[in-house]
Amino acid sequence: MIATEGLTRRFGDLVAVENLDLVVAKGEVFGFLGPNGAGKTTTIRLLSALIAPDAGTGTVAGLELGRQNRAIRQRVGVLTETPGLYKRLSVGDGLLFFARLYSVPDPAREVERYLRLFDLWDRRRDLAGSLSKGMQQKVAIARALVHDPAVLFLDEPTASLDPEAAKVVRDLIETLRTKERTIFLCTHNLDEADRLCDRVALFKRRLIALGSPQELKEGRYGRRTVVHLAHPRPGLEEALRLPFVKKVERVDGKLLVSLADPERQNPVLVRRLVELGAEVQFVNELRYSLEDLYLDLLEGSDAAH
Amino acid sequence: MRRISVILFKEWKESLRNKMILFGAIFLPLLMVGAAVAMVYQGRTSGPPGAEVALFNTALMYFLILPVIIPLAIAVYSIVGEKEQGTLEPLLATPISDWELFVGKALVSVLPAVVLTWGSFGLFLGVSVALLGRIPPHALTAPWLAAVFGLTPLLSLFSVGVTMLVSSRATDARAAYEFSSLAVLPALVPLIIYSTRKTIVSLGLVAVEGVVLLVGSAVVLYFAIRMFRREQILTRWK
Ligand SMILES: Nc1ncnc2c1ncn2[C@@H]1O[C@H](COP(=O)(O)OP(=O)(O)OP(=O)(O)O)[C@@H](O)[C@H]1O
Ligand SMILES: [Mg+2]
Repeated sequence: MIATEGLTRRFGDLVAVENLDLVVAKGEVFGFLGPNGAGKTTTIRLLSALIAPDAGTGTVAGLELGRQNRAIRQRVGVLTETPGLYKRLSVGDGLLFFARLYSVPDPAREVERYLRLFDLWDRRRDLAGSLSKGMQQKVAIARALVHDPAVLFLDEPTASLDPEAAKVVRDLIETLRTKERTIFLCTHNLDEADRLCDRVALFKRRLIALGSPQELKEGRYGRRTVVHLAHPRPGLEEALRLPFVKKVERVDGKLLVSLADPERQNPVLVRRLVELGAEVQFVNELRYSLEDLYLDLLEGSDAAH
Repeated sequence: MRRISVILFKEWKESLRNKMILFGAIFLPLLMVGAAVAMVYQGRTSGPPGAEVALFNTALMYFLILPVIIPLAIAVYSIVGEKEQGTLEPLLATPISDWELFVGKALVSVLPAVVLTWGSFGLFLGVSVALLGRIPPHALTAPWLAAVFGLTPLLSLFSVGVTMLVSSRATDARAAYEFSSLAVLPALVPLIIYSTRKTIVSLGLVAVEGVVLLVGSAVVLYFAIRMFRREQILTRWK
């Protein structure tokens, strides 16, 4: 649905996006993560045919960037960084305006549908400027969806939403995924990216890492089991040298055991510990968050420059 | 074409909620009509018949200022308002073309300017007839009618072009408004010429003014259109 090759964009001397190669499949929820100023919004603008690249090519929804920009804009929906609503128009009128610009066949019906979905139907006659920040964000999301785009770009969709509204948005993303819509999601909420995204890219002017959240974490940290013992004996690490154990460490009186296949190997490990007379209290998998990975990789990329 | 009318109706809906625009579009024309009527009413008895016609001509000039000032507030708001509310990016993300956006934004203020000017002119004539019982003979000459009907669209086009150009660069509405008011100057030139000659205008003068405005508008619109490209709007407008 999205494919780019060497996409590059400069602002004067500043390179905002450098040599971006990306392929996003149809129906994929793709997370685009990176620190402030990384070039995420610039990438969205490039991919939604709002600004032109200085170098590189790309296709979006099967259409070529630069040649079929107008058709691309018809097929993609963009939730911009700020809601950008017409404050002097009513919520309903503002959405109708966009539905008509997108030539939606039955604009009033679509507007009603999305306003109801976001619980804003009762507010349709209120001026957009009178809504709370989170409600404005919901209207902006409705605006991005009103023409049923094949590709949806979301620039920090849940940034100003309360937990309930954020959940509505996340559920919506799940629904759109099942309807084979492609979603390009920029977010600073790493937990959200971890839960929602099929794959994530870590980006700071250029791609730093790319893969499913699980792959990325395992690739960097492997899988580890934490064992809490009541009275850990010294020297237990040495006694645990089983053939499949890659590494054993002792941290704060707990054992950290690196394993390739914990589902099969943990039972053997625990049996061995019991044989050695250890009193096992808890056995957990050590889980890394996407945040750990994010911070780690960014630090690495800074050090590399 | 359809998208242009979508833009037009949205802008007008917004404008109706903006006091500054309503002031410019309704109060000012009424004020002008009032002033013009007062002038010809005062001249109804005093002086020789020639004076009455001269006063009438001066009153007619007011209707050459209206097409310049009516669109100012609408045009400023239709650009600066989008900038201030951060609405340009979602708008540019739609399939609207740069050209449709530009034409839409221009017509938003040109159309009301022309319609309201002609409406005010009609109102002026109507009220004058009601008060004086007639329009003085030789007052409504062909050159005057040509000026009011022919120059009005050109004057407002020029004014709107200047305002769009200024507004695309301006950071706030007030600055845009003040700078754009300079567009009144070319409209004043014929007024000055007419008032010094103190005679009935000639078709030649109207034609010259028309050509000057046409060239001026073409130049201004040329630069305005260049400012109105997506890329420019998103990366240069502040
Ligand atoms: N119109 C512009 N003119 C000049 N520089 C720009 C422009 N737009 C973006 N930049 C620069 O490009 C870089 C990337 O900006 P961008 O807005 O894409 O970052 P981002 O990843 O979206 O950041 P954030 O998380 O803060 O939203 C920044 O250094 C920014 O200053
Ligand atoms: Mg951004």
